[in-house]
Amino acid sequence: MLKALEGSQAIAETVALCRPQVVAAYPITPQTHIVENISKLVANGQLHCEFVSVESEFSAASVVLGAAAAGSRTYTATASQGLLLMTEVLYNIAGSRIPVVMTCANRAISAPLSIWNDQQDSMAVRDAGWIQLYCADNQEAVDTTIQAYRIAEQTELPVMVCMDGFTLTHTLEPIDIPDQALVDNYLPPYQFARRLDARQPISIGTLLSPDFYPEARHSHHQALLNAAERIIEADQEWQALSGRSCGGLLTVEGPDSATIGVLTLGSVIGTFREAVLEYPQAAAAKLLKLRSLRPFPIEALQQAVAGLQDLIVVERALSPGGGGIVGPEVRAALSELPNPPRVHNIAVGLGGRDIPLDLYPRLLRLAEAPQPLRFAVFDADCNKLAPEDR
Amino acid sequence: MTILTRGAFAWPATTLNYHTGTWRVQRPVHLHGTAPCHGACPSGEDAQAWLAKLEEGSAQAAWQTLVEANPLPAVTGRICHHPCESACNRGQYDSAIAIHHAERWLGDEALQQQWAYPVAAVAADAPRFAVVGAGPAGLSASYHLLRQGYNVTLYDELPVAGGTLRTSLPQYRLPRAVLDAEIERILALGITFQGHHRLGREMSIEELRRDYAGLFIAPGRQVGRAWSVDGVTPRDLHHGLELLQEWIALGTVTAPASVAIIGGGNTAVDLSRIMKRAGVQQVHLITHQALPESGQEVVDVMSAIPREVYQAQEEGVEIHPNRGIRRLILRGERVVGIEMVRMKKLDRGQGRLERVAFSGTETVLHVDQVIPAIGQSLDPAGMERLGATEEGLEVSFWGESGHDGIFAGGDARRDSSGTASAAIGDGRRAALALVRRLQGQMQPEREVRAATVGIEQLNLSYFEPATRPQQAILPVSERGGEAEIEQGLSEEQVQAEARRCFSCGNCFACDNCWTLCPDSAVLKRHEQASGGAHYQFDLDYCKGCGLCANECPCGYIQMEEEM
Amino acid sequence: MSTETTISIAELRRKQPRFSAIESGHRACLGCGQALAVRLVTEATGPDIMIANATGCLEIFTTPWPESAWRVPWMHSLFENTGAIASGMEAALKAQGRSTKVLAFGGDGGTFDIGFQALSGMLERDHNVLYVCYDNEAYMNTGVQRSGSTPHAAMTNTSPPGRERMGKRHLKKDVINIVASHHIPYAATASVAYPSDLRKKVRRALAIEGPTFLQIHAPCPLGWGHDGAISISVARMAVESGMFPIIELERGELTGVMPIRKPIPVADYLRAQQRFRHLFADDSRAREELEHLQALADHNIEVYGLQADADDLRDTSGADTVRRGGMRWA
Repeated sequence: MLKALEGSQAIAETVALCRPQVVAAYPITPQTHIVENISKLVANGQLHCEFVSVESEFSAASVVLGAAAAGSRTYTATASQGLLLMTEVLYNIAGSRIPVVMTCANRAISAPLSIWNDQQDSMAVRDAGWIQLYCADNQEAVDTTIQAYRIAEQTELPVMVCMDGFTLTHTLEPIDIPDQALVDNYLPPYQFARRLDARQPISIGTLLSPDFYPEARHSHHQALLNAAERIIEADQEWQALSGRSCGGLLTVEGPDSATIGVLTLGSVIGTFREAVLEYPQAAAAKLLKLRSLRPFPIEALQQAVAGLQDLIVVERALSPGGGGIVGPEVRAALSELPNPPRVHNIAVGLGGRDIPLDLYPRLLRLAEAPQPLRFAVFDADCNKLAPEDR
Repeated sequence: MTILTRGAFAWPATTLNYHTGTWRVQRPVHLHGTAPCHGACPSGEDAQAWLAKLEEGSAQAAWQTLVEANPLPAVTGRICHHPCESACNRGQYDSAIAIHHAERWLGDEALQQQWAYPVAAVAADAPRFAVVGAGPAGLSASYHLLRQGYNVTLYDELPVAGGTLRTSLPQYRLPRAVLDAEIERILALGITFQGHHRLGREMSIEELRRDYAGLFIAPGRQVGRAWSVDGVTPRDLHHGLELLQEWIALGTVTAPASVAIIGGGNTAVDLSRIMKRAGVQQVHLITHQALPESGQEVVDVMSAIPREVYQAQEEGVEIHPNRGIRRLILRGERVVGIEMVRMKKLDRGQGRLERVAFSGTETVLHVDQVIPAIGQSLDPAGMERLGATEEGLEVSFWGESGHDGIFAGGDARRDSSGTASAAIGDGRRAALALVRRLQGQMQPEREVRAATVGIEQLNLSYFEPATRPQQAILPVSERGGEAEIEQGLSEEQVQAEARRCFSCGNCFACDNCWTLCPDSAVLKRHEQASGGAHYQFDLDYCKGCGLCANECPCGYIQMEEEM
Repeated sequence: MSTETTISIAELRRKQPRFSAIESGHRACLGCGQALAVRLVTEATGPDIMIANATGCLEIFTTPWPESAWRVPWMHSLFENTGAIASGMEAALKAQGRSTKVLAFGGDGGTFDIGFQALSGMLERDHNVLYVCYDNEAYMNTGVQRSGSTPHAAMTNTSPPGRERMGKRHLKKDVINIVASHHIPYAATASVAYPSDLRKKVRRALAIEGPTFLQIHAPCPLGWGHDGAISISVARMAVESGMFPIIELERGELTGVMPIRKPIPVADYLRAQQRFRHLFADDSRAREELEHLQALADHNIEVYGLQADADDLRDTSGADTVRRGGMRWA
């Protein structure tokens, strides 16, 4: 049903449709409206679940871990500092192969303190072993959240649904909230084979010796790689039911003849789509929307860049002292190709810096540079820095 | 090939596959140690064992355990000096278990309930032994021979059995009815009793040796030890033992106005109390030894049972301890007084003790009669062949006399302690040895027992202090006749005492080991355990930490080096 | 049960008249107080439990993959989140309508220090969980380092005595009162030296709907420096000296104590352990610390009213009295 909703509110209603039995909530800007809305739903009897107001994000993740291990579908959301605080638990959840779904309302990381949107938080935990899916708009966030439960419960891997804080969470949009019947159809009740139960009293979280640890990691890695198919299928199955697709692992749009590609994750794609219309005279370019960061869709990416000579990777995070995060992964993936495009890697909009439409044509001009841009914080103005800090 | 589970979960209770028992350097073992009461009992009773049965609720089973060693508990429960209580570990905690009173109660209960001895009928054609002397040693030997399935003919010079128990113990200590009942029951097992038979008169050792499978001689010491002061013996000297026996037999004895009894043993003390009852106004008891519980070393303390000494004092006997007689004061040949002097046994080095008199401490006591009661001698008539002298017979631990097939015991032993319980023990040991000899087995050097359990092996944290009950005693004003002075304890009191027993060296199924093992390596074989056999160490998992041994209240678990 | 001699020991093991959630074959040290405490706790809970276990000795020695000593559903997550894991389990079971009781197990490190926040949150939110803290007074699993629970002046590898130090500088954190200040229905201390008291308290907690907390004093032979055979004796001395008071608090109020029949000098307790041996040197600092520790014990006795005025069946001398045939009072 189409409603004009703030992104957070839409997520809250969507979560309720997925029938979690346990929701853990710790507030952090810009996720607060999600948990507040969920608590309203609980208070009004629209969502029947155990709503646990925990005392930190660490406990939020731990509560959902304990609850999921005990056989309940769960939900929590966080951002930024909260995500970092629960990092240890994230690894623990994934390594234990316990399915949970979490929203990350992407926000910059302190220090310096910032409450505004970028993707440093989710990027920082990309190695935790979770599936990470990035949402271009609030409709995708709604649909991806629902798909996340299906994917998680089938693969026995936790799924992080990343949506840009403020940009998406606090934006009012018309959103189609699916019917309960549709969601029930799509999401069967959670049946965890390894649930803690007296009839099969297993011990979870054992000490694993060097004789078996590499095998555990290999298995985990393979599970994530294999999850790519599940992600595609889940999206296709959802499309069949709802009529909407989120684009599987990644999508490519734009003229076939384009030799420049712009790859990004999250809501920035919306800005670029607008910019394409705003700057018709700009060079033709393909827009590559990367949805799944983990598993990293190497084959799909390799196919998507066919015909490109330059690929500009626009990301919302960085690895200080190294460069970009998504950029180097893209370069590595494409290096297997006989004739890969040149990869230019920039970070923009860190700490919530507005990304103006006119960034787009400036980006495209990178294709003209004799050397590919290794990495730059593209919108940083060095005049604002003392000489020794540039 | 072990397959990794998803998320590395583990299946339940799979650590059972890993035997932590391989870690051990020491292992727990059950060791039924000797309880100190058992070790100290001259007749060899395992008091801990019968107290346990009493606590478990079966008085009859307790009595049956008791009489496996001592067939005369109603007797010993009255007259024994109870070294078991002196040895009792609980004595170092709050107060010793009243084993003596418990034994008396069991003995009396058995008589009342007419419980049968655990002795099977002896085959008529089973070999027959001879026992000479129907005192406690002879009665015990006869009983134990019957227990082992052999026939016995029991001889005594008196017309009835009982020996010293009958002739020399006042009824206020040992009622005649009780003695008769105990003896009657023993004889009724099938012992052939021949009264009026004296060794060396009606029969000889050679005849007995020839006619029987073996021979046990326990004639007792019937002769008062000779006494004189500087070689002077008063003409009207009566030996204490004779007087005592006279009073017991006849109920009367000549009563002068004042007497001095010389001696510190039970005979002297008994005699002093008899004299009081006979009407003697001043009864003095003079002994070179110290009063019991005076804090002085055992070697120099009166050998009489302390409670008898105390009761004598209550009854008005005046005791002069640490005194010797320096001179007799005579009128003609009659004694009219004695000169006493203080004396003590002093250590002269290298373990030598010497009696030393202290000049300047002489006092004169005017008495009408002096009665020595300084011990008894053996009358060796009929036993000369065995090397018997006045000092007694030289025999081994088992009573072997050195002459094949002839054993001896009781007071007649040279090293006798002079107690009925020791005599009963002698009889038991000789009976065991006689049968071993008959069966062609070797005699072990001593009775083999596990090491005695000291208090340091117990864990006292697990016990609760509790007071020992006091028996009722006839007040002095009511004494004088033959009424029994000590009343013993009630059934409830005896049961409470059984509960107080530490059970030294023997498991009482407290469940501590089972409860406290961090590795669940002690298993119970019974939901409600009742003894050590009901606990099992699971050596596959026992790490040998020693917690069970440390926390075992009664010292039943010991740690042994793992081989 | 019967006395057939043909019964195998494995069969005998299965027929024991008690439940234990922890099986043999675990890798605890000889005489481990914590292993015993777990046995006693789960004996009282019975099998219908689910355990959230903190990182520490207990989870390490019970779950060396592929083996597990546990007989009940059990999860170990991290060091600091046991209270939260347990909260999640409890919420799930509640949502699913299952009656299984959730227990949280943590050492003193995982409870007093790093896990404190999660515990506090769990208590504040009124979760129906029994939290059991196995208090061996240091981070033992990592090699004996001091925790908030380490007693004053105790030696650990991060509070060693030396020219400028006399062991741990700070006092033992009074966690039971902090927990009780959450006004939860039941919080209590217990010791492995008094198994019946411990089991009684577990049963009491289990019967309560809501958060409950049990702090069990559990000697660590390796970390405290004594023979494993005397773990119980040492634990008992801790109680009898007043250094570890056995108390019960309900909704913040003191409602039960185990009186000490005859307090023993703290030095007796300390002398039995190598971790306090520096206090017996001929040193004025050592003497001062001994006095301080005695003063702390005296303070406990006064504050909690532990001095018995008459012998009591449930005081420190009576509570562990044994009887023929077992027949414990709890």
